Amino acid sequence: MTLETQNGHCEEHLPLEIDRMSITLGHGAGLRVVDDFSLSVRKGEIVGLVGESGSGKSVTCLAAMGLLSEEWQIDGHIQVANTHIDRTTDRKDLLSLRGRGAAMVFQDANASLNPIQKVGKQLTDTVARLRGVSRSQARQTALDLLRQVEMPDPEERFHSYPFQLSGGQNQRVMIALALAGKPELLFADEPTTALDVTVQSQILNLIRKLRDETGMGVVFVTHDLGVVSELCDTVAVMYKGKLLERGSVEQIMTNPQNDYTKKLLAAMPALPHDDPGPSTPPQSKIADEALLRLRNVACDYKTRKGTFRAVEDVSLALRTGDSLAVIGESGSGKSTISKLMLGIEPPSEGSALFEGEPVPLLGTREYKPFARKVQLVPQNPYLSLDPRATLGDQIEEPFVIHGIGSPAERFVRRNELLEAVQLTPAHGERYPHEVSGGQCQRAVIARALALEPKLLICDEATASLDVSVQARIIELLQDLQEKFHLSLVFVTHDLRLIHGLCNRVAVMCKGELVELNRTDAMFANPRHPYTRELLAAIPDVLSQSAAE
Amino acid sequence: MTRIILRKLFRAALTLFLVVTFVFFVLRITGDPVSAMMPDDTDPAIMEQLREQWGLNRPLGVQYAEYWKNLATGDFGNAYRDGRPALDIVLERVPATLKLTLTGFLFILLIGFPMGIAAAVNRGSAVDRLIMTLSVTGFSLPNFFLGILLILVFSVNLRWLPAFGSGHWYNLIMPVITLGTAGGAVIARYVRSSMLEVLNAPYIRAARACGMSERAIIWTVALPNAAIPSITVIGFMVGALISGSIVTETVFAWPGIGRLLIDSVSSRELAVVQTIVMMTAASMVIANLTVDILYLIIDPRQRYGTGSGE
Repeated sequence: MTLETQNGHCEEHLPLEIDRMSITLGHGAGLRVVDDFSLSVRKGEIVGLVGESGSGKSVTCLAAMGLLSEEWQIDGHIQVANTHIDRTTDRKDLLSLRGRGAAMVFQDANASLNPIQKVGKQLTDTVARLRGVSRSQARQTALDLLRQVEMPDPEERFHSYPFQLSGGQNQRVMIALALAGKPELLFADEPTTALDVTVQSQILNLIRKLRDETGMGVVFVTHDLGVVSELCDTVAVMYKGKLLERGSVEQIMTNPQNDYTKKLLAAMPALPHDDPGPSTPPQSKIADEALLRLRNVACDYKTRKGTFRAVEDVSLALRTGDSLAVIGESGSGKSTISKLMLGIEPPSEGSALFEGEPVPLLGTREYKPFARKVQLVPQNPYLSLDPRATLGDQIEEPFVIHGIGSPAERFVRRNELLEAVQLTPAHGERYPHEVSGGQCQRAVIARALALEPKLLICDEATASLDVSVQARIIELLQDLQEKFHLSLVFVTHDLRLIHGLCNRVAVMCKGELVELNRTDAMFANPRHPYTRELLAAIPDVLSQSAAE
Repeated sequence: MTRIILRKLFRAALTLFLVVTFVFFVLRITGDPVSAMMPDDTDPAIMEQLREQWGLNRPLGVQYAEYWKNLATGDFGNAYRDGRPALDIVLERVPATLKLTLTGFLFILLIGFPMGIAAAVNRGSAVDRLIMTLSVTGFSLPNFFLGILLILVFSVNLRWLPAFGSGHWYNLIMPVITLGTAGGAVIARYVRSSMLEVLNAPYIRAARACGMSERAIIWTVALPNAAIPSITVIGFMVGALISGSIVTETVFAWPGIGRLLIDSVSSRELAVVQTIVMMTAASMVIANLTVDILYLIIDPRQRYGTGSGE
């Protein structure tokens, strides 16, 4: 369906036409990143470009913007807003294309704005340059753009620096910048990935509204099929640089043709709708006495401007065999909760008790025996592993620290652990950079399990992994919980991950515990308005496809 | 912001105090002005009398207290030889040194920044390699050697420039090159690496995506951001300039503080040495204070006290 609208000489060009494009890194026989890829975008169409990291989505956008450096070789036909792009394209034509013909917003809005210039000035400069108007007119337009992207207090924000704004606000500024030249086409490269769900849904609404107002075409790059089903008209699925499948959202969501698309859809964490029953963990093994208890805890952080209360008056208990999800957006205090449980931060008020004893503070003598019972799985596996030691050695390290077993016994245990997390003994010989992110996280989990802890605290343990990998790690945790009789605290911002894994859920908002509930009850009947808001903000494949 | 500056001022005062104290004791422990000044066969009684007269035979602690008491009244002490106030002796040499160091400073910035920017923008090209080679050569050459080389080539052989003297603008050329080459070479490397880092930042790509021309990106976005880390190095440069001026002034017989310092140390003119040390320490401290304040002006994140760019 790529070229059928271009029959004959129509006076109207498409915002984007890519025909049989290949992109290679390095000249000659370099690394082929995009292979024989075709895509077209009509006016007012939002196309979702979906795939895992490394599938070539971002490179495709950068190529169309003429933003790839000379070490990339591009073959095939690319036409963006009436400008043909290849190596011979004049530099001037590229400059006038960018901003006016096509604009782009990026994933990390905080880092994509000049850090030492006020956002108002950045906008004014861009408007003046792209529209060729006077400074005072540009200033007025800049303010209008801030209003158009629904920036709260635009007059005031106009004089703010990027570091004074939130991630969502900066993304609004980026979108305003992209609109400054009235582009026919907008590339949005994972613009909501770094944002909280509620902010994400605001930005998605904004993009839809702007499309309606301006009639621009949008290429929305994402790995999240939920976002696609909520926002996009059509979907293109990419895998290893190839276009696997292209169609309307309904087609792809309800009747995917390609195996990879099916896998991707199956891997999508989804909210329970009709049958919350079977996947909820069994309640029978849960003991009555509390393993871990937070009693009216508060936690203060000292800042230059005084103290900041990150957590206020939180009480909760975790019984042996429980698995508790701690849910919240950034700044909600959910990570502080895990730090209190781990003794990384002392409670400023109240107490944190483990098996009836106060949780010892990290670095004290009492911590070592405590560490045998409570272990942490942090977010980024590459950061929590020593890059210069093999995975196996690092899994053995807890035994060394606690003086457990002979070297031979340790080696046996290490291989058992590797198998428990579905790795092979051969993986034990590799270094972190030699394995994938998912395999790395498995090794981290194996290391955390080495001492057979009673409680495993996972702090956003799957947040930096691709969706399909994420799903397998969740399965692994479910499996291990059963096998090792673990209690689990699973800290996450993604509500979709917890059903099936956690039997109870604690929802944090601005440092307070707003809802403590059974997971199925929370999904079926959220008590607190904030929980309802969170649930409503989640882009969800099932609800969308069911509605259509 | 005033609190930050006040704290920095307090630290500056502490630095000055420590430097002056250190120099006071080291000078007195390592040698005696009277024996340095008088011929070896002088009658010990006369030497003792001179010591008595200048108060050098009193306990060090007493001398030290006396020194601070006089300083408080603006008295920096007198030179032993001719009895003139040390401050006057130093001050009359200041203009010559200022002329040399300030021109040297300008020279450093004028070669450092453009070369660093040119190297970063043309990364990996012949221009980059040439500039980096020059830079390594520049800071590997000891400045006294460079000075002598310049004199040999331009004064002795070509006879284009005078080897010493300070009356004309052209007298400055060789001393300034001698003084500034190493600093310029260092700045060029720093500017290059911080420019490279900034040019890879996401906001540069975003600026390109907004249709900003490459030249505008370099001058209005990349350079101001890259200047922030470079400023620290410029602060260090002031120290290098002062110590470099001692050597340079000696090589080119420049009538500045540097040469006065060398002369005064060898003749044990304690008051003069101390005054010079105090003044150079003060100018170092002022330079670093200026750098800190420049930071606050250029980088809004510092001004609002958020530290990082997050």
